[in-house]
Amino acid sequence: MKHSKPYLIRENDVSCNIGRLDEAWEGSPTFLYFSGKSGVPIDWLETKVGLIENEFSEGHFILLTSGSTGRPKLVVGHRRRAERLCGILHELQSSEPVKEAVCLLPLTYCYSFVNQWLWARQFGRSLIMTPGLSEPAEIRTALTHTRDAMLCLVGAQVPLLIRHFPSESFAGIIRVHFAGGRFPQENLSNIKRLFPNAEIYNNYGCAEAMPRLTIRPAKASPEASNIGKPLPGVELKSDEHSRILFRSVFGAVAMIDDTGLSRIANDTWVPTGDLGRPLEDGQWQILGRSNEVFKRYGEKVSIPQVLSTVRDHWDGQADCYRQADPQGEEGYVLVLSPIPINEEVRKLLRRVGGAFSRAHWPLRVEGVTKMPLLPNGKVDRQRLASNDNARIVWHQRL
Amino acid sequence: MNNYDKLKELLVDVFLLSEEEFRFDLKREEIATWDSMGTVSMAVGVQETFGYHMTPDEAVGVAGVEDIIRILVENGISFEE
Repeated sequence: MKHSKPYLIRENDVSCNIGRLDEAWEGSPTFLYFSGKSGVPIDWLETKVGLIENEFSEGHFILLTSGSTGRPKLVVGHRRRAERLCGILHELQSSEPVKEAVCLLPLTYCYSFVNQWLWARQFGRSLIMTPGLSEPAEIRTALTHTRDAMLCLVGAQVPLLIRHFPSESFAGIIRVHFAGGRFPQENLSNIKRLFPNAEIYNNYGCAEAMPRLTIRPAKASPEASNIGKPLPGVELKSDEHSRILFRSVFGAVAMIDDTGLSRIANDTWVPTGDLGRPLEDGQWQILGRSNEVFKRYGEKVSIPQVLSTVRDHWDGQADCYRQADPQGEEGYVLVLSPIPINEEVRKLLRRVGGAFSRAHWPLRVEGVTKMPLLPNGKVDRQRLASNDNARIVWHQRL
Repeated sequence: MNNYDKLKELLVDVFLLSEEEFRFDLKREEIATWDSMGTVSMAVGVQETFGYHMTPDEAVGVAGVEDIIRILVENGISFEE
């Protein structure tokens, strides 16, 4: 039986005409929605969507993700599953009073696609597109004029919001969601100042989950690592290495990468890429990305835990990238922005040293004037690791 | 910058001390960040700064800043004012 190959929709086409996405959703053929800025060659995308099998050729949608691995991957979702997830999110995020969704993230990002575009479509709410935080004047206008609106953000956007709007408040925002990385607990007071009328949520998931697995109202815990309880229809477990795996009735049905297409059956446990553990009350705690926890001189080093301490004592931005030391031991480099002076670095590292032994300290500290960001607002760690303009402001002598 | 200044700058950096905390009579047990890896960092820093390679026994035996100065002086590095 002949089936049609999924067609491709660029983000640029949608930003000019959001109706393009509505048409695609209402139509039958499966489509791939992707960002033209992803850097992934069209040839690669066309070849990979050609692997889509008959059963996925209608009624599905495909998003492109590179996650934290940097390797492109296509995630195939089922439209009805995504719509059911929107219904759950609407209830758990208390979204009934919300009338508008202001988009500061690209809609090609699964989080924004489902939690904003699809939700707005399904519940008949307005969608307000913006060019993102690169255009603060336009963001100010959008945030000032909106009423009863929700925002979906990633934690990396918060320092930019604080910098762009150091003394402003936006009363029309009544829901603020965070996902796609660590919850910015250390900036909660600034977030409340920016959005004084907003209920704030920490959302956890991954592209393979399409995308949501757990939700926690910010006020439910003071710990950034607490991601709350699994949604109805979602099961979580951790294996002997503390890796989190999930099964979800809303999750992706297949993935396509350089190794080909792999189906995700309903009973398949899928790794989220994070380490974590269940807490006694049914909530879950994130221990870090599975590639961000490693052994160094016999000690288990968790980059997220160190970064959490750094962020408690550093007003600017902080991130890390992995590197081995001259002896071949795994380590990491801490990058700060703006560039700190020597005494600031020592003061900050004394805080780290007070909480962790030297094995946990960074191999070196680099300062950059500006963090390189991905289109979704997360720090681009590949560019961070190859930044010729970074200034070494401290190094371990080992 | 004389060798006292160089040594102070090195140890302040290796052990993350504030300028005010540093003294030339500081003992190892007074420096919370002077653990076993700190000893290695100190020895590597001494080699980078003064060109003298401490033996493992020398490095492990250092009980304070004065011992570092003594080892360096014994190996021909002047700490004259």
